[in-house]
Amino acid sequence: MFSKLAVKNVGRSFRDYGVYFLTVAFGVCLFYVFNALETQTVLQYLSGNQRQDLVDSIMRLIGMLSVFVWVVLAFLILYASGFLVRRRSRELGTYLLLGMERRQVAGLLLAETAFTALTALAVGLALGVVLSQALSVFTAGLFAVPQTAFRFSVSVPALVRTALAFVGIFLLVMVCHTLSLFRKRLIDLLRANRTNQELKARSLGASVALFLVGCALLGVAYAMLLIRGMLRVDALFWVMIGLGSLGTLLFFRGLSGFLLRLCQGSKKLYYKGLNLFILRQFNAGINTTYRSMTVICLMLLLAIGITATSVGLNNTVERMTEEAQPWSVELTVWPEEEGQAMDLPAALAERGFDPDRWCGPWAAFPLCRDSQGEFGLREADYAALESAWGTERAQAFLKHQGAEVLPNDDGGAYTAVLWHFLADYAGDPQGAEEAFLAAVSDLTNTGGYSYSTKQAAWMDLMGTKVLVLFIGLYLGVVFLVASAAVLALQQLSQAADSAGRYQILSRLGVSERDRGRSVDVQVFLAFFLPLALALIHAVVGMTAANEIIAQVGRVDVGASGAVTALLLVAVYGGYFLATCWGSRRMLRASA
Amino acid sequence: MDQILEVKGLCRDYGKGSITHAVDHVDLSVEKGEFVGIMGPSGSGKTTLLNCIATIDRPTGGSIRVEGQEITGLKPKALAKFRRERLGFVFQDCNLLDTLTAFENIALALTIRGTPAGQVEGLVRETAGLLEIGDCLNKYPYQMSGGQQQRTAAARAIVTRPALILADEPTGALDSKASRLLLDRFEALNTQLAATILMVTHDAFTASYCHRILFLRDGAVFTQLERGTLSRRDFFRRIMDVVATLGGDQSDVL
Repeated sequence: MFSKLAVKNVGRSFRDYGVYFLTVAFGVCLFYVFNALETQTVLQYLSGNQRQDLVDSIMRLIGMLSVFVWVVLAFLILYASGFLVRRRSRELGTYLLLGMERRQVAGLLLAETAFTALTALAVGLALGVVLSQALSVFTAGLFAVPQTAFRFSVSVPALVRTALAFVGIFLLVMVCHTLSLFRKRLIDLLRANRTNQELKARSLGASVALFLVGCALLGVAYAMLLIRGMLRVDALFWVMIGLGSLGTLLFFRGLSGFLLRLCQGSKKLYYKGLNLFILRQFNAGINTTYRSMTVICLMLLLAIGITATSVGLNNTVERMTEEAQPWSVELTVWPEEEGQAMDLPAALAERGFDPDRWCGPWAAFPLCRDSQGEFGLREADYAALESAWGTERAQAFLKHQGAEVLPNDDGGAYTAVLWHFLADYAGDPQGAEEAFLAAVSDLTNTGGYSYSTKQAAWMDLMGTKVLVLFIGLYLGVVFLVASAAVLALQQLSQAADSAGRYQILSRLGVSERDRGRSVDVQVFLAFFLPLALALIHAVVGMTAANEIIAQVGRVDVGASGAVTALLLVAVYGGYFLATCWGSRRMLRASA
Repeated sequence: MDQILEVKGLCRDYGKGSITHAVDHVDLSVEKGEFVGIMGPSGSGKTTLLNCIATIDRPTGGSIRVEGQEITGLKPKALAKFRRERLGFVFQDCNLLDTLTAFENIALALTIRGTPAGQVEGLVRETAGLLEIGDCLNKYPYQMSGGQQQRTAAARAIVTRPALILADEPTGALDSKASRLLLDRFEALNTQLAATILMVTHDAFTASYCHRILFLRDGAVFTQLERGTLSRRDFFRRIMDVVATLGGDQSDVL
């Protein structure tokens, strides 16, 4: 019955619905991309190369993280829709005043929510499919995966999972709104715009003390982190996290108390233009929102930390594997009896892997023990190794095996302990790998053996890369979007509450430019105060994290910093500009 | 005497097709130091007239000159400058900023004009003393009574020493005692600072504080009343007579 009114309402309040709509659509899009990871070229390549186990474990981890992300998104959407209903409480009150029943108004609200939500879901899924596809091409290039023909793939399970997850969230939203609508009295709905924000007076001394205590706690937490490092997860670790969070909370609470007084101290600053108005506006906000500032600061820290660490780690892992696996194939065989002679190339050739056919440079030799019990490589074999791959790699091999070059003039006193076969593929590496694996699996009757191939190492590496990078970036983006969206909504709702004040300013003769500037300054403070502290946290955290990474490899600070900065600027900066624009529009309309 | 405000042939029409003439060819002039009232029944166009003079509304015809400057064609930026430098406002719903203390509300009018920071405090305290709100300067609007709020708004309007103070039903939301106090202060501003005040009201008692009253009906000037040397009580009676005539005419129509 009210479907027409509902659709019209959505159209009319499109500007209000805009932020909500974008948030939901973006959430859906991210959720789908994450869940549709199995359609990614990289993962398909992995599973097509006998690494199904790796793929399965990745998918399991994603499943678990999805639950976590679902919770974050549910809170975000609940918050966003709460903002919408609050904005429109007067309108809803008018419906009640006109004699509509609460049931009907609730139904109207449900219809509107459902309409917006379903549209956002559809748009989000479409975006998700496109983004997933683009990401697939991009990452395939990033991970150096040979690309077969471009295939357009849609993951049906991911679609279903995303749809179910968000329908669940929407149901939650509807239940919450219906309950709150039934609880509220009509007079509260009609007067919602007039309620004053409470201004808690707090003594200056207490605020400064709180701020200093907050700083001290942060200092202690930083010191613990830098001294203890990041990886020791014990009771003290949680104490450290607790101290950091509490310190952040006290920091903002203290700051909210004395920032205003501090500025009031300087008459030149305070009595200049709109400064006193801006500071009062901000103060009225910060008194009630220092808690949310703390949460946002910590969320931003997670976003920055996760993104930067995952990118840094990714580059480190790659370099490590390159060093650990220099040959295309490395086969080691322990003969059943020490001293037994073996011809590995012949044995392999017999089983279908002819080194002369598949390989470029190759070498087969024993590692021996001489008469004095020294373990090493005969000088002639070392010379062959050196001529095939150069001194550097030959030396690296010796170091890796803990072997020495044994002088050749020891007669026949060598006992062969291990037989090695080293080779680099030539021509078709895929075919060579298959032939080698087939040959090696048939090698059982020769004693114990182990082998490693560059391709297998690459697969492992790629699995780790996908895991680290995808999950890191994904979580980073989710946290970033969540915190930016909460801030945007908070600022927009504050702008809506302040509409009357800006109207007064307009009457007093404050030009539109100055009013806009005042809005921008407020939004800027709200966005960049938490960010500033989060950045300081992140720098300290990254210093600790890099120390760990530096133990196993060189840290790529440049790349991780660049990626993180790019993400921050794109997502956070985008939300910041959109919020400035939205607030200005809202206030311009009212003045 | 200097002419502060000169309104000529002012029109403000609403709607297309069947046009409503909210203000219909009104002429009005106010001289420096005058305290002028505009009266009329609901819908007579008095608030529309005031809004046009206050540059909140745009007239559809005629001219408004403040201190010789034509203000009907001003651009938004020039309008804002004009408002903050030449006009002071007192409205029925007082329009104080709820996040600011009384002191800051008054100070804001100065700071947005770029008054040097060193002078702000002195000017605010002086004006507050004149309006007898010196003891509630550190309160927020919702901690003050309606009368105190209105006098704070009046202080904000006068602190910049504007050419013209515009008041729209300033006593509309006040009880009689608070009204009297506010109007006494208006009178003091008028006599001591030679402030020029233009006030819209539908209340005869409030209007009796004025020097001259313009009666509007259906958007046009119905009549004018000068106080001259009359006592306020006598002036009040004269006003009541005109109000009765205004009402009487209407009942004839019915």
